[in-house]
Amino acid sequence: MIGIVVVSHSPALAEAAVELALQMVPGDRPPIAIAAGAGDGVIGTDATRVAAAIEEVASPDGVLVFMDLGSALMSTELALEFVADPDLRVKLTSAPFVEGLLAGIVRASGGASLDEVEEEARGALAAKSAQLGDDPAADPGVPSGPSVPGTAAGLRVDLELANPSGLHARPASLIAAAAMAADAKTTVENLRTGSGPVRADSSIALMSLGARTGDSIRVSSTGPGAAVLLDKISALVADGFGEL
Amino acid sequence: MTASVSLADLTAWLGAFRDLVTENRDYLTELDSAIGDADHGANMARGMGAVLDKLGQAEPAVTVDELFKGVGMTLVSSVGGASGPLYGTFFLRFGVAAGAVSELDGPALSSALAAGLGGVIARGKAEAGDKTMLDALAPALEAFDDALADGLPAAAAAAASAAAAGRDATLDLVARKGRASYLGERSAGHLDPGATSTAYLFEALAGVVA
Repeated sequence: MIGIVVVSHSPALAEAAVELALQMVPGDRPPIAIAAGAGDGVIGTDATRVAAAIEEVASPDGVLVFMDLGSALMSTELALEFVADPDLRVKLTSAPFVEGLLAGIVRASGGASLDEVEEEARGALAAKSAQLGDDPAADPGVPSGPSVPGTAAGLRVDLELANPSGLHARPASLIAAAAMAADAKTTVENLRTGSGPVRADSSIALMSLGARTGDSIRVSSTGPGAAVLLDKISALVADGFGEL
Repeated sequence: MTASVSLADLTAWLGAFRDLVTENRDYLTELDSAIGDADHGANMARGMGAVLDKLGQAEPAVTVDELFKGVGMTLVSSVGGASGPLYGTFFLRFGVAAGAVSELDGPALSSALAAGLGGVIARGKAEAGDKTMLDALAPALEAFDDALADGLPAAAAAAASAAAAGRDATLDLVARKGRASYLGERSAGHLDPGATSTAYLFEALAGVVA
């Protein structure tokens, strides 16, 4: 699993953002280190703390760094000069702090690579943009979804969402985790709104469907693991994602 | 006439800079409260205070690079705001460029300052006219080099004047970097705090190399 570093001016902000994200991760968590504040209660950032945090969660899988704003970026860039291991892969992401951290930690906990987690985190504003009706063309970094239409060779199933919250964050992450683990290419569309298809292995892409209680979703899957995966997703939906 | 600066001179420079940012702590913070987060005075005074405290406790550095590595690292971990990585990088690069020597002549000091400037540009990604410390730093170095033929004290004095002029010219600029940039047009009409503290850096140098 990749390591996650959270750089903020404020320890309280960083801790709360991580706590919020970890609500979405029931099982194994990626290693997470916080570098926040400049010590002695001073609001600010400290490049030496950032470097120590990077080294704390370093592994051959790499490290993704989330930053809040301003000097957090400069301190992190400077911190890279202090990291001893020249082969360590460290990526700084322009992902939004709260949404990106949540999407990134969920994705990382499923064992995704550094690049995959970064892409997911950077596109994390998509669900918010879709909900509020922003112009999608003006939205940068949305993970582009449609890769497999429901082909004749593939399987598909239509499911009605009965759980109260629809495909919000936690249910979306459960589907994404199942899709990530399966040997199949899978997409989901919202039959009520016509949105999608989007990649099933991206919780953020799933959230961008805006699927609510009573909506029908179509899950299409191809590959050796398709049948088992569709059964699994059907069971999740039937169970109301544990919300019923 | 002074032909070179010694380790003692450089340490005196840092002390004079500390004194200026400490005396003007409230003024710097007032400037920063107009267009930023009102911490520049406190941050610089705390950071340079930590630098001088550390220099007082440790064995004296025997080379310029060693001295400024310590200065840069202390600033990075004690300032807190954007000035931490910016001034920190300035002094770290200054030290690396100066090398393991015990004094700097005019051209060597010029090279070290230029390396520091390069570090600030790389770190902050600002350009001239963005209403940042660069608007004092870049003209200071240019003036230093132009006046170097007249000797080190003349160069340092010219750099101090140019930094002050650069600082004053930030008054009418609209900020394009840092927190002040969120204010857009409303950032005009205020001096930039970072350019102001940079002017103190060169005022301090001119005082020591006189």
